[in-house]
Amino acid sequence: MRTLLLICFLICALTASSATAAPLDEVRTPADVAGAFSPSSRLRVINLWATWCVPCVAEMPELKAVDQAFKPTEVELIGVSFDDVLPGDRGEIKTKVRKFLTKRSIEYRNLYYVGKMKWMNEYFRFGGELPLTIVLDSKGKEIARHQGAIDRKQFITQLRTLLRK
Amino acid sequence: MKRLAAVFLVLMATAAFAGSELGAGAKAPGFSLVNSVDGKKVTFKPGDGKTSVVIFTCNQCPYSKAFEQRIIDIGKAYGQKGVVFYAVNPNDDSRYAEETLSNMKARAKGRSYPFPYLKDGNSAVAGSYGARVTPHAYLVDGNGVIVYRGYVDDSAKPGEREHTGLTDALDSLLAKQAVKESETAAFGCTIKWKKGA
Repeated sequence: MRTLLLICFLICALTASSATAAPLDEVRTPADVAGAFSPSSRLRVINLWATWCVPCVAEMPELKAVDQAFKPTEVELIGVSFDDVLPGDRGEIKTKVRKFLTKRSIEYRNLYYVGKMKWMNEYFRFGGELPLTIVLDSKGKEIARHQGAIDRKQFITQLRTLLRK
Repeated sequence: MKRLAAVFLVLMATAAFAGSELGAGAKAPGFSLVNSVDGKKVTFKPGDGKTSVVIFTCNQCPYSKAFEQRIIDIGKAYGQKGVVFYAVNPNDDSRYAEETLSNMKARAKGRSYPFPYLKDGNSAVAGSYGARVTPHAYLVDGNGVIVYRGYVDDSAKPGEREHTGLTDALDSLLAKQAVKESETAAFGCTIKWKKGA
């Protein structure tokens, strides 16, 4: 009986952890970030953030609301964690980021950037100031950007306007 | 017409304050700020004949923390060569308690900063340089002209550095050679501006 209970417990624990663990694919270049979107999404939103960035964390509920306001074929949102740009053990930091996302029930896709800061600067004109949100059209061309936290209402309105164009 | 001119002037002034990061060739603004370590005023007079480094940094920013030892090492090494360093904290301590004068003092003393750690209480000095982030470095020659501005190094990870922007510029300047890369894109935490600054 004890063995049965233990097996049951292990199965439950494994199922629970796999169901709630947030996916966090590693990307090495800004081009990998730009190329991570589905070809069918009309607008592509990249949000650059880090767990240690206070305004980024405060912004997450806003982004969740934005993500839920659109179909993936209209607006696809991808978060890009920059936690790896600071010194530290990559495995440990990545685990921390994954737990962070899981705890907050973040459902939109997130990537874990392990490339250089200057590559992001050259590709996306990213100067390190987080959060930064960039809107690309279906061809990957930048059509809007927000430095600092977004406001859900204003951003949803802006995205709806961009979708009508 | 007068109203139009007034609007234009306001727009120009706003643009000048908000967006103008001083670049190489610009005259460095002087300042007089309180040193958190001893409470005394420290004055920087550009053009005093000394090579100087002004670095905007702070207590709480992870980038500043990651670069802290590097900045200390550079301060020690180049201080011996006569370069004067000013570490300036422009963050609003009324919103971020880690940035108070007493916390700055504790940090500077605890880590034996070889340079003054100055409080830019109303963020005005950072505004005058057009600094955006911490850390953000400016190298000023003896004539008071900025000869380098940007990052300290191109990576916060020592093993991934490819370009040591500030020390390359310092070496060139001290060797009386032209600085090859005089402007780089500083990266770090957004300055926590004092409201109304």
